Amino acid sequence: MSEGDLAVIQPEKMKSYIWLQTTDGSIQQVEQEVAMFCPMICQEVIQKGVGSSKNHAISLPQRVNPAMFSLILDYCRFHQLPGRSNKERKTYDEKFIRMDTKRLCELTSAADSLQLKPLVDLTSRALARIIEGKTPEEIREIFHLPDDLTEEEKLEPLKNTMDDPRIRLLNRLYAKKRKELKERERLKNVEVEEPVDERSVDDLLSFINGRDRKVVKLSKGKKKNKKKKDQKIVFSDEPHDIHDKESHDLHCKYKGVEETGSSMREVHNLPSMEDDICTPKAESEDGDIDDEIDPAMREMLDREVEDFARRLNTNWVRSRGQERRPVHFSINGNGTTRRHTGPSTGHTGS
Amino acid sequence: MGESTDFISDLPQSIIENILTRLSIRDAIRTSVLSSKWRYKWSTLTDLVFDEKCVSPSNDRSVVETSLVRFITGVLLLHQGPIHKFQLSTSFLQCRPDVDQWLLFLSRNGIKELVLELGEGEFRVPSCLFSCLKLTRLDLCHCEFDPPRYFKGFSYLKSLNLHQILVAPEVIESLISGCPLLEFLSLSYFDSLVLSISAPNLMYLSLDGEFKDIFLENTPKLVAISVSMYMHEDVMDFEQSSDYSLVKFLGGVPLLEKLVGYIYFTKYLSIGDDPGRLPITYIHLKTIELYQVSFEDANEVLVLLRLVTHSPNLKDLKVSASPIQLFPLEEEGFDLFDREYFDYKLPRLETVKMTDVSGIRNELEFIRFLLGTSPVLETIIVTSSLSDKDAKMDMVVELLRYPRISPRAQFIFLQD
Repeated sequence: MSEGDLAVIQPEKMKSYIWLQTTDGSIQQVEQEVAMFCPMICQEVIQKGVGSSKNHAISLPQRVNPAMFSLILDYCRFHQLPGRSNKERKTYDEKFIRMDTKRLCELTSAADSLQLKPLVDLTSRALARIIEGKTPEEIREIFHLPDDLTEEEKLEPLKNTMDDPRIRLLNRLYAKKRKELKERERLKNVEVEEPVDERSVDDLLSFINGRDRKVVKLSKGKKKNKKKKDQKIVFSDEPHDIHDKESHDLHCKYKGVEETGSSMREVHNLPSMEDDICTPKAESEDGDIDDEIDPAMREMLDREVEDFARRLNTNWVRSRGQERRPVHFSINGNGTTRRHTGPSTGHTGS
Repeated sequence: MGESTDFISDLPQSIIENILTRLSIRDAIRTSVLSSKWRYKWSTLTDLVFDEKCVSPSNDRSVVETSLVRFITGVLLLHQGPIHKFQLSTSFLQCRPDVDQWLLFLSRNGIKELVLELGEGEFRVPSCLFSCLKLTRLDLCHCEFDPPRYFKGFSYLKSLNLHQILVAPEVIESLISGCPLLEFLSLSYFDSLVLSISAPNLMYLSLDGEFKDIFLENTPKLVAISVSMYMHEDVMDFEQSSDYSLVKFLGGVPLLEKLVGYIYFTKYLSIGDDPGRLPITYIHLKTIELYQVSFEDANEVLVLLRLVTHSPNLKDLKVSASPIQLFPLEEEGFDLFDREYFDYKLPRLETVKMTDVSGIRNELEFIRFLLGTSPVLETIIVTSSLSDKDAKMDMVVELLRYPRISPRAQFIFLQD
């Protein structure tokens, strides 16, 4: 949009100022060539014919506060001159973006609402340079981001569980459980070096009932997975009759997703995240049982489990990790497992 | 730390993506652990660029390979929305079924720019690639390219780059003809390729490999050509029969602005019967760079002269002479320059650089020719490959006494 064109539209107005109203209500004049450098202002002038007088000042978008606006004007004033060399412009740009991060973000937002793409690109580049190579903690520190993801969420980039507020409840419960476990670990002597899972059904039952924590803690990751799958298989099966208890639904749901999640952990394991997050949660995040089940429920659970365990071969319980295929159990999102207490031939893999 | 102090998360998604695209894919994905708002901000990025730096380094190749495959598969599965650019450049991956799966996924997600630079091996491009009809850019390296019969071409393709691809020559020809919007073509690392290029919108051409015969059949818009031509021994034999290669290759490129030739390019152009004059004037040609020109061969010198004299706006000339081949052609070349060439003028020539000059007659005469025809010449840089100091001195003395019609012309002699 050249000045010549503007003259054609408003031949009687020989002024070269545009009137602009900032968000604090004050109205100011800006030289035409400087203001017209911003596409949004340009558009307002051409399409709506405003900005030519004090009464018809163009109101700046809300995201452009007065401080940012004066910065942007400086930028426009410099760059709208055609005679500047590329080197000069680059040097100016480098100096221009030296400001604290908060202002940089405000500036990006303001430039975006004025559709000033070169400035948006410049500030985005600067912000990218700030983010590059830093740990999440550092980035949160710089931008004042809330650390509101749970440890599970940080490790599991799975989409489906995300937006459910009940999941958050579950996460909190698990977090509590994990803390408890850690306490017990420190107290107990754990003898879990056995390569083979020799637990009897009794052990499993007592585990589920929350009395014996022996089997939970593992030192070696592989066995952990295997044992987790153990627990998961058994556990996920039981609540299929219990649909009214919310937390159980959550369990199944979470477990179900978990299960497919863990078997696909190989695939989804974005290594960078594990590098950054140094809490030892890869081991203890699942396989935790929620103690807060009410006793009546627990009774029912116990019975279910006993039933189920009886149907199972003890081979299954004792089998090696490698041959285990937990994904047999087609667990769908709402927790109902199709693999209910039917004939065992249907589901065991070993 | 309340919500009000978080000053970046509420910026519009377009800005966030602007920022994230400037980060490596690894850093971009790490932002998903920053906070709940940031969890999926990265997942709509449309440009994905992968290489082995995405995963932790390791001395064990297979470990890097496995983790890279996992990483890429994970990213693709978590991604939302269309993917416009996918680039994978790594020697760690070659033939893996995963690559096929990724390509299938991409073909269903609107891929427009695909760059696949894998390690050496026999990766066969899967057929799903040929259904990516929105492609605007395709770069393949170390693959086998075998399109199905129904494949007609990529109608939106603007840039094609094939490096060390196992493919039948007629396939390349039909591929090029089947991409009417093609503007940039680069073919490299080929064996004995015979090619006829018909690309009405082609602007940039780069060839690097062993070409037996190239014919620029229909490339009127070519602006820049760069050719590194290695020649098959057979070519040396059919010198007599064919049409003048110079015309065949450069006869239909009136808009040419830059010409660069390496290895045997000038020799290739000199093959055939010389009609005497070129049918075309390169009024836009400003830069000519010809390397490995064999000055003992009169035909090659002729090619050079033809090009130079038919480019009235030539500004920069760089010529590099081949080491001496001991051909007994020198005498013949001598009177080349006494003919009509001095009637030509090179009105815009400003800089000349002659390298590997060994002081033979034709080289010196060529420089004399340049000095006598370029009124605005400013610098002429000469480097010599002679080791004998006396011979070098003789050459310098000879060059300095040539008349120069440009008052500002300066010789700069550089050590090789």
